[in-house]
Amino acid sequence: MTNAKPIRLLIAALGGEGGGVLAGWIANAALLAGHYGQRTSIPGVAQRTGATTYYLEILPRDGSVQGAPVLALNPAPGEVDVMVASEMLEAVRSIQTGLVSADRTLLIASTSRVYTVDEKSAMGDGRLNPERMETVARQFSRETVIADFAAIAASVKAPLNAVLLGAISGSKALPISAEHFRAAIRDGKSVEANLRGFEAGLNLNGTRVESAEIVTSAPPAIEANLEERARKIVPSVASEIAVEGVRRLNDFQGPDYAGLYIERLIRFAPKADGAFMRELARHLAVRMSFEDTIRVAQLKLREGRVARLRRESNANEGDLIVVAEFLKPGPEEILSMLTPGLGRAMLRFVHRMGWSEKSFPMRVRTTRFGGFLRLKMLASLRGWRPRTLRYAEEQAWIERWLSLVEQALHLDQDVAREVVETARLVKGYGETYKRGHANWNRIAAEIVEPYLKGGLAPAQFADAVLQARLAALADPDGARLDSVIGSLRNLTERRIAAE
Amino acid sequence: MAGEVSFKKEIESLRLGDGDTFYGEGILAVTKALLQSGVAYVGGYQGAPVTHLLDVLVQSGDMLEELGIHLETCTNEAAAAAMLGASINYPLRGAVTWKSIVGTNVAADALSNLASAGVIGGAMIIVGEDYGEGASVIQERTHAMAMKSSMWLLDPRPELSSIVNMVERGFELSEASNTPVILELRIRACHVFGAFKAKDNIAPEFSTRHKMKPAQFLYNRLSHPPVIFPQEVAKFEKRMPAARKFIQENKLNEFLGPKSGDIGIIVQGGIFNALNSRLALAGLSDAYGNVQVPTLALNVTYPLVPEEIVQFCVGKKAVLLLEEGSPDFIEQSLGQILRKADMQTKLHGKDMLPMAGEYSPIVIGRGLAKFLAAYGKRSEALENWIKEVDAQGSEVTKALGVALPPRPPTFCTGCPERPIFSAMKILRKEMGPVHVAVDIGCHALATFPPFSQGNSILGYGMSLASASAVASTQQERPVSIMGDGGFWHNGLLTGVAGAVLNKDDSVLIVMNNGYSSATGQQDLPSSVPEEDGRGRGVDIEGAVRSMGVSWIKHVHTYSVSKVVTTLRDALKTNEKGLKVIIADGECQLARQRRIRPAMAKLSAQGKRVVRTRFWVDPDVCTGDHSCIRFSGCPSLTIKPNEDKLRTDPVAYVNNDCVGCGLCGEVSHAAQLCPSFAEIQVIENPGLWDRLRNRVSRGMIRLFGGGAEREKIATLVPAE
Repeated sequence: MTNAKPIRLLIAALGGEGGGVLAGWIANAALLAGHYGQRTSIPGVAQRTGATTYYLEILPRDGSVQGAPVLALNPAPGEVDVMVASEMLEAVRSIQTGLVSADRTLLIASTSRVYTVDEKSAMGDGRLNPERMETVARQFSRETVIADFAAIAASVKAPLNAVLLGAISGSKALPISAEHFRAAIRDGKSVEANLRGFEAGLNLNGTRVESAEIVTSAPPAIEANLEERARKIVPSVASEIAVEGVRRLNDFQGPDYAGLYIERLIRFAPKADGAFMRELARHLAVRMSFEDTIRVAQLKLREGRVARLRRESNANEGDLIVVAEFLKPGPEEILSMLTPGLGRAMLRFVHRMGWSEKSFPMRVRTTRFGGFLRLKMLASLRGWRPRTLRYAEEQAWIERWLSLVEQALHLDQDVAREVVETARLVKGYGETYKRGHANWNRIAAEIVEPYLKGGLAPAQFADAVLQARLAALADPDGARLDSVIGSLRNLTERRIAAE
Repeated sequence: MAGEVSFKKEIESLRLGDGDTFYGEGILAVTKALLQSGVAYVGGYQGAPVTHLLDVLVQSGDMLEELGIHLETCTNEAAAAAMLGASINYPLRGAVTWKSIVGTNVAADALSNLASAGVIGGAMIIVGEDYGEGASVIQERTHAMAMKSSMWLLDPRPELSSIVNMVERGFELSEASNTPVILELRIRACHVFGAFKAKDNIAPEFSTRHKMKPAQFLYNRLSHPPVIFPQEVAKFEKRMPAARKFIQENKLNEFLGPKSGDIGIIVQGGIFNALNSRLALAGLSDAYGNVQVPTLALNVTYPLVPEEIVQFCVGKKAVLLLEEGSPDFIEQSLGQILRKADMQTKLHGKDMLPMAGEYSPIVIGRGLAKFLAAYGKRSEALENWIKEVDAQGSEVTKALGVALPPRPPTFCTGCPERPIFSAMKILRKEMGPVHVAVDIGCHALATFPPFSQGNSILGYGMSLASASAVASTQQERPVSIMGDGGFWHNGLLTGVAGAVLNKDDSVLIVMNNGYSSATGQQDLPSSVPEEDGRGRGVDIEGAVRSMGVSWIKHVHTYSVSKVVTTLRDALKTNEKGLKVIIADGECQLARQRRIRPAMAKLSAQGKRVVRTRFWVDPDVCTGDHSCIRFSGCPSLTIKPNEDKLRTDPVAYVNNDCVGCGLCGEVSHAAQLCPSFAEIQVIENPGLWDRLRNRVSRGMIRLFGGGAEREKIATLVPAE
């Protein structure tokens, strides 16, 4: 028997990311370096963007041993020397299955995320906590090279797998020289880009690379005195948000409307702490800048938007871009632009005629004059907005919500905070908007209003509102909200019966 | 040496001769071994993990012609199995391949007849045993099929020279015993990259180049009464004894490790390497397979050779059998052999290892630890390892605090099948649920979120047949989904003809994407004929119409609103009988492979090219993600909200977008939101483009539009 042990390497990637090519480069480089190299994989249907792995065993050649080695085809937990993950969740998944271990494994992982369908289809924020994933990654591996490899790849315009190969080479964990890796790359396709990526990964030296900064298009600044007022009326932790709110609403409707925002905040400022005001200021500004047809037109005519589109679509200098917006207003979007009386009457009529589901699909080319003009005309209705049905409805909702917050604040700040947060449910367009409203109304009428009169301890009350909000975001059909409201009712009824 | 797996290089390595070293994947080593064995004909049906065997042969037409080998891309596994009938009467070696267990099931009728008549030319079936991690089919063993038809089952150690050797010996075994043999390769063995010493290819004696005369009439070559009775007797009186003799004389099964010892291990060849790594951990082997426990590696798992088993067990207190999957056929045979030989060796197997599931390292490790401990050979290293592995799983779960979301495969970016399921989801909201019969193929991915639909899967091309009793017992018509692959595999006859014959009131959607896509774009009868392709352009609509279906509609899959209307119509129409919707949309992977290089070439030549992609306006998006729940496209994802006032992530289209148009269609059809925009990037714009752009820009500026300002500055230098 010999004591020679193969070096074991496992690659976790998503189908279509080139994990197979990466495994191929490593195996070939191992052969070039004179070692035994074996790789295998389980592509199957995983080639279609599912999670998959590639496994390699490399055994340095030993002249004194007769015969060929017997290398394993399956990775064994606790026995992987190098784990490479092209994405953070897949890195953590391999840790959970024990394939990464604290006493043995060098983990080379990209912090970049390719969100799962579960995460990205959540009605609110379904993302996993990135800090916690990274902590786990560091805690359960012997050594780490953690960086945003996807960002590095994008910055040097090279494939991710080549950058990862560079990082593997740079880690010196394999008995293979950089030259052998380069030779393996040269034996394949897209040699130039892959070599570029390889060098970028090789020169990483374990330094952390952050993702690129997000570029935002800020609404135009306004009269300083409004902003100054906003800053003064709230505690300092909330002031940034309040100022942003003032700007948003000035852009949305004008200085008077921004003034209304400040007035509304003043009602609460003396009674609540900074964190509370911050959240209230945030949600109030968002709800006050509701997305009616005028607002959408306004946003779509934003300055610098075309430049941004050019950048995001990788258009080169000299290329032209044509932008077509997909709009499909229904009777509610259109008729709610009328005055409340007329609008309501018309909506009733439309409903009676069975036209509620009718809508007008449009492709508006905003880079063409005709399309631009249509949106420009819509946006210019801004002055009319305060007279519209939609405006009246939104203000009524806001007042109802604020009044509930106010009553809750008399009771307990934590309850009030949860009532503030329920505003998150009201968002979007069409179906989404209606569903959000309906859910909010249920929570207001069946939980907040009844228990404001008593019946639940503040901590339980706050928790009930929180659970109802989470339930409303759990599924679009409202099944979870039903069960939360139902069980709450049972609980209180039982208590009443017991008393 | 082989680099990045490309068939061009593989085809070159198929020409290697005596003394060369072949580098490549397991399944390609099998292909080379077939050529070294002098096969006269090859065929099969695609399916992971054996698809490459056929793919590489399809692309190496020249070489096959030189050798005179007939190649058939069969329409299903039954056709492939029937093709082996050539070896009944003629001294032709032939091999066919498919994915098992499913392919073997489809082929079962022909295989039974083939096995009864027996062969004079070597006949080999190479099956990709789709079992365990990565599998996409029901979990059953091919072993049962080998047993019931008395065909021999080879399960070689997963190492290239062993696999190649078993192919070559397998043909000899087949001829020595007049019986077809099955070579079983697990997923990882098919894809394992390794090396072996090549030999020259052998041109078959009779072939497409050297043709034969028809065989004389010999009634006993038919699987027909009365000769079926003597044939059954021959299986057990002549063929099996001949096979056992061959297996023993040629040492196909390997006795490894020390000659004596009081315990031993018997293992299927295919999982020997996994066993070896656990033995090495226990200090009972090394990286070169020098096992320190007597081990019998069964490269032939059916039939067993009783003499070998007895010889191995003599003087042993106990043996452990590693047999993956259920039922425990080998264990039952071993028990019988030991009992008949009146041996007291204790037999362990499924008592120490699980009945079902893949024998992964941890599973084998646990079983081995139990066995060693039971016979006073406890390995501390092995037991500590198991403890540590168990501990880590729960520690990580605790540290994470949440369950990790699964990541099943999804439709590719821009897949033409996705819009059908978006449309069905939209319609489900309107009409309520209907029974959906799912089939095999890419479209089965709609069973995963965000579509999560489908009530049953009954096999390839079986969806419509599986809905026949549902159709008459439900208020709403059931919808059956079928790919063009499943349609030609057997859906046309099993499904369409059956539904017409029985006047089933049902709806069938046929996904016409032009290829057998899930397995890597193999041509089908309906594929567009191309110079180097095997498609024949057979018309799906014509085929359906000829069956007597009159309600046939074509939809372009990306027109979601049209799909919704058509499907609603099919479900609601007063017309009875089968309604067929043919959903046309070419596989996007194939399409991109074709048009990307073409567009890049045009662009480089300075010609006008229009590139389309979608975009979500982050200012307008409110982060509800309804669009994602109707799509699930990998390029439609989320990103952090740039807005200081909002925290929910917004939808975001990344640069993988191929501009299929689904996002816009769905936002219209489901009335989602006004956040979506289509961007056309015109490279090398023509005079008309530029003129139009200048005019629009000028007018927009005149009316106070500032949106284009930046572009004006960068785009148009003084002309």
